[in-house]
Amino acid sequence: MTQNLSSSALVRPAAKDVNAEADIPSGYGKTESFLLPKDPAWMFLFWEITQNTLECVKSQYGQDTLEKARTVIRLHDVTGVEFFDGSNSVRFYDMPVIFEARSWYINVPESGRTYLADLGYVTEDGRFILVTRSNISSVPPGRISNVVDDKWMIVEGDFQKLLQLSGADYIGLGSSERMQVLGERWKLTELAGAGTPGSSWSSFKLHLDSVKTEEDEDIWLKADCEIIIYGSASKNAIVTINGQEIELKEGKFSIRQHLPAGSVVDLPIKARNAKGDKTRQVTIKALREQGK
Amino acid sequence: MGEEKGYLALVLHAHLPFIKHPEYPDFLEEDWFYEAMVETYIPLLNVFENLTEEGTDFRLTMTLTPPLCNMMEDPLLIERFRHYLNQRVELSQKELNRTQGTEFEGVARMYFNKFRRYQDLFEHRYHGHVLQGFKKFQDMGKLEIITCCATHGYLPLMVHKESVNAQIKIAANDYRSRFGRNPRGIWLAECAYNPGDDKFLREEGIRFFFTESHGVLHGTPRPKYGIYAPVYCPQTGVAAFARDMESAQQVWSAEAGYPGDARYREFYRDLGYDLDYDYIKPYLHSDGVRRNIGMKYHKITGKVALNQKQAYDPYAAREVAAQHAGNFMFNRQKQIEYLSTVIDRKPLVVSMYDAELYGHWWYEGIDFLEYLFKKIYYDQKDIKLVTPSEYLAMYPENQVVQPSMSSWGDKGYHDVWLNSGNDWIYRHLIKSAERMMELANKFPNADGLLRRALNQLARELVLMQSSDWAFLMTTGTAKEYSTKRTKDHVKRFNELYEQIQGNRINEGYVYDLEQKDSIFQQMDYNVYSSAAKEAVLKKY
Repeated sequence: MTQNLSSSALVRPAAKDVNAEADIPSGYGKTESFLLPKDPAWMFLFWEITQNTLECVKSQYGQDTLEKARTVIRLHDVTGVEFFDGSNSVRFYDMPVIFEARSWYINVPESGRTYLADLGYVTEDGRFILVTRSNISSVPPGRISNVVDDKWMIVEGDFQKLLQLSGADYIGLGSSERMQVLGERWKLTELAGAGTPGSSWSSFKLHLDSVKTEEDEDIWLKADCEIIIYGSASKNAIVTINGQEIELKEGKFSIRQHLPAGSVVDLPIKARNAKGDKTRQVTIKALREQGK
Repeated sequence: MGEEKGYLALVLHAHLPFIKHPEYPDFLEEDWFYEAMVETYIPLLNVFENLTEEGTDFRLTMTLTPPLCNMMEDPLLIERFRHYLNQRVELSQKELNRTQGTEFEGVARMYFNKFRRYQDLFEHRYHGHVLQGFKKFQDMGKLEIITCCATHGYLPLMVHKESVNAQIKIAANDYRSRFGRNPRGIWLAECAYNPGDDKFLREEGIRFFFTESHGVLHGTPRPKYGIYAPVYCPQTGVAAFARDMESAQQVWSAEAGYPGDARYREFYRDLGYDLDYDYIKPYLHSDGVRRNIGMKYHKITGKVALNQKQAYDPYAAREVAAQHAGNFMFNRQKQIEYLSTVIDRKPLVVSMYDAELYGHWWYEGIDFLEYLFKKIYYDQKDIKLVTPSEYLAMYPENQVVQPSMSSWGDKGYHDVWLNSGNDWIYRHLIKSAERMMELANKFPNADGLLRRALNQLARELVLMQSSDWAFLMTTGTAKEYSTKRTKDHVKRFNELYEQIQGNRINEGYVYDLEQKDSIFQQMDYNVYSSAAKEAVLKKY
């Protein structure tokens, strides 16, 4: 740490160091892909495809075929499939992808299932050319099971009561407060150089978006929304969303944000080249009405 | 079984990532450990000592994670903590004079008395080894110490089961060496459960783990008792205990939670900022920057600016903690009474919290626990405190349910540890695990320097896998440090891997890493062998 001005040995990595993966490898020189579960509705796929692999595919199928083909993630539902041979999945879903993105969040069609993702080309005549196949991974059901145990029967009314007592309505909610408190806990040493902390803080300054709804016996509804904005841009491009510069990771970006009720968002996404003489723009608008 | 109507299992999860920087004389992030020692871990031991002395029986389940145990037994960190504690005693003694005759006299006296007492326990009763204190209460049957994934690794995001197996096996071995018996229970890091991982628990003799409420509620088939009785995993029979949300909310809720009471200590108003610079400077880090030093003289007061906070009254605050303990117990009595009208066995309520919430964040939380133990023991007969092991001994027959994948993180699954802010780490975590397996399979009988290098490689991998780094990247606090730690371990791993593969191991390099990343002295890289994993999967 040559720039450390004080005699202290308190090491702070240089600010520009953060998030930069420049000093660790961006890949490991092997074509492969890995599929991870995120929640009942989402999975994360990341991959590496080497130049060598692309050359091999090209020489086998011909440049012309590949140029006319679409690159896709083919998500196979392999629930209950003992040995997947490439064609015996329950069903599969294709979604367009660019190989250069190197990772993708996949909105799975059905929760509580087991999946596997193939990356490859779909040719003009509908053939699939496999480039790499992921591991097998499952997403949770995200709901109460319909299966009832003969030996451990329970009256339906009692079970509903028990569910409510068990906090079924709170699932995944209480924990965000916990996370914020824990986050605060780590902050102690982060106040370095900040002078005095903000003046309006009180010990429990937590503001969880309230998810309280009037719970009528007959009918109630809860819904919430997050939007994900993702995309990619040319290397070295400077990308802004709503005027705010965002970080590109290997040419890719992804922003996830809460969309509160009654909000209108207007998000111009702009990219400009390093020289600053060329720009491209895409605008995304979203509207969420107040509940009735 | 006595006349009680139901049971309460209190579970505290004590954890910190392994942070030790021998390469620097003074390192900021090590403070997390020293603060937790003086605000949570030793104060808890103090409560156990007091209760035992006065004959109050109690039951508590506590995780002491392997990284925490490793830090508690690390000679360098013990020495540095000793210095930290001495400094607190010294400053609080000076403060007695400075505050004499002011409204802060009482709170200054409180700090002095507490620090002196903790110093006495640390030096004279435990001789610098607080684990001995925890072990003592476990051997007395009052405390059930459970283990955790080796480095708090997040199991559902590990693609290779070899990694899962290693996280469990390393933890279980560490536990045996410290507590002289098998761990009966485990806290899966972030309560993150992935169906089937219980096989690796069973193999180590672990009989139970904990899940967030929907881990059991979303299980298959439907759990007859909701979350008020444990369930057994199919094939393995390992029990899953689910978290009760009602008692969790009572403490955590921003609106109604106990820690927000105006008479409790204000967390953000700290002497590190309030005192004259020259006076406080010797107690700051060597860079001389003002930071929290853990002594706070004000109460929450209300929604007012920090400079409007009023003086803290330790006696009044303790009184409030007693009231809150009474309220907590009353609510559990009502809860259990009502539950027993819905289910046909005595209900069990499992209340799970981060240990550091008590004392470090909610300063009076330690008093709250002490009062709660006393009140439950002396003032009522409806509820009885139990450990999971005691419950299973009373109720060996439980429904077989496959728990659902889940975690206790925000939104209930993996979002906190896998999102656009930290997803880049998995490329490296998973690849490193694959390389570790490759070498473990290639060199089943390594010795000498190669063995040392392989063991260190395994240490770098498990340190890289600590879920804390991904968590801190998401919360945005300590993001620099957590990013740097992840990358440092990736770099060290890759360098060592290349050296081993190229048959050019540099002993100096290995030695240096052994000093820095010194967790798990007994590490055996063979835990990554694929044959070991296969054997477990075949067995269950």
